[in-house]
Amino acid sequence: MTKRTNLEKNGAAQAAFLGCMLGCLTLALVNLGTEVSEAFKNTVHYIGKLSMPGAEGIGPYSGKETLSLGVWLGSWFTLHRILRTGEWNSRLVYVVFLVGMAIATTLLWPPVIHWTAHLLTGS
Amino acid sequence: MVNQEHGEERSSKTTIISVLVVMAAIGAAIVLISSPTNRLLGESLYSIRSAFHGLFAGILMVTMTIGLYQAFRMWMGPALNIRELEIGSIVNAVTCFVTIVLGNWLYIPYRAATGPRAHFLQTAPEVHKIFFEFKEFTALLTLPLVVAATYLICRYGTRLSFSKPLREMTALLLMLAFFYFVIAFGLGAAVTKLKAV
Repeated sequence: MTKRTNLEKNGAAQAAFLGCMLGCLTLALVNLGTEVSEAFKNTVHYIGKLSMPGAEGIGPYSGKETLSLGVWLGSWFTLHRILRTGEWNSRLVYVVFLVGMAIATTLLWPPVIHWTAHLLTGS
Repeated sequence: MVNQEHGEERSSKTTIISVLVVMAAIGAAIVLISSPTNRLLGESLYSIRSAFHGLFAGILMVTMTIGLYQAFRMWMGPALNIRELEIGSIVNAVTCFVTIVLGNWLYIPYRAATGPRAHFLQTAPEVHKIFFEFKEFTALLTLPLVVAATYLICRYGTRLSFSKPLREMTALLLMLAFFYFVIAFGLGAAVTKLKAV
């Protein structure tokens, strides 16, 4: 059995793969947070106003985009640093990615968001 | 002899493309001068940004579909044309980014006091609260997916042809991007049909 060199490993690919899932998951969680808490919603909008032109017109959506973008690129960078000379188990990476994307998609479906927010706040 | 034939082939292509470009420019000029094109855009103040968002979403439909086909090829395993993949994925990612930026720009009049959002909340709240909200978020999911796919294609290049995990990861990213795009595109078209910006 031949040993694979660092250049042949797929760690950088796995970092890009998982980073984008974390960005998507962040979008869903931040969106849920804005439904649950008015203070968090205002904070998210404030972050959007700091980073995006025209943020006043599109409301907290600007902050959701900013936070999602930040986590996506930040986690990609961090994971890249961790994985560039190695790699994790491929199957585990697929499972984590697909489960993360499924949670993000489910949490973005508005009836689920409203139901979850209702469950968390009791109102 | 071979070089001469190659040179002739190239010069024929250049001639054909040049003639087609000139003919398209003449055709476009005639249409623009002789037809009331502005009537197609509608009376709205935001018709131009709306038209550009729709135009780029239409282009994205083409590039995402090509991406889906390339994903299928990667998944199934036939030989890949890496150069073609690289150019296609870069165009896909750039178009996706521009469409989202234009979507943000169009979202401002959508949310305005007299915009479609207010209209839907008064007449049919579920159109905004369920369908539009889902559309606006699924549209955003496409960008990280296509950028990650582009990164894998450009970084690994010919290694994609030999590495099954890399092909599977790239194919999965492109397939998911197409899935989220179709939701956003379909719902966007449906909502616009009910009430345009």
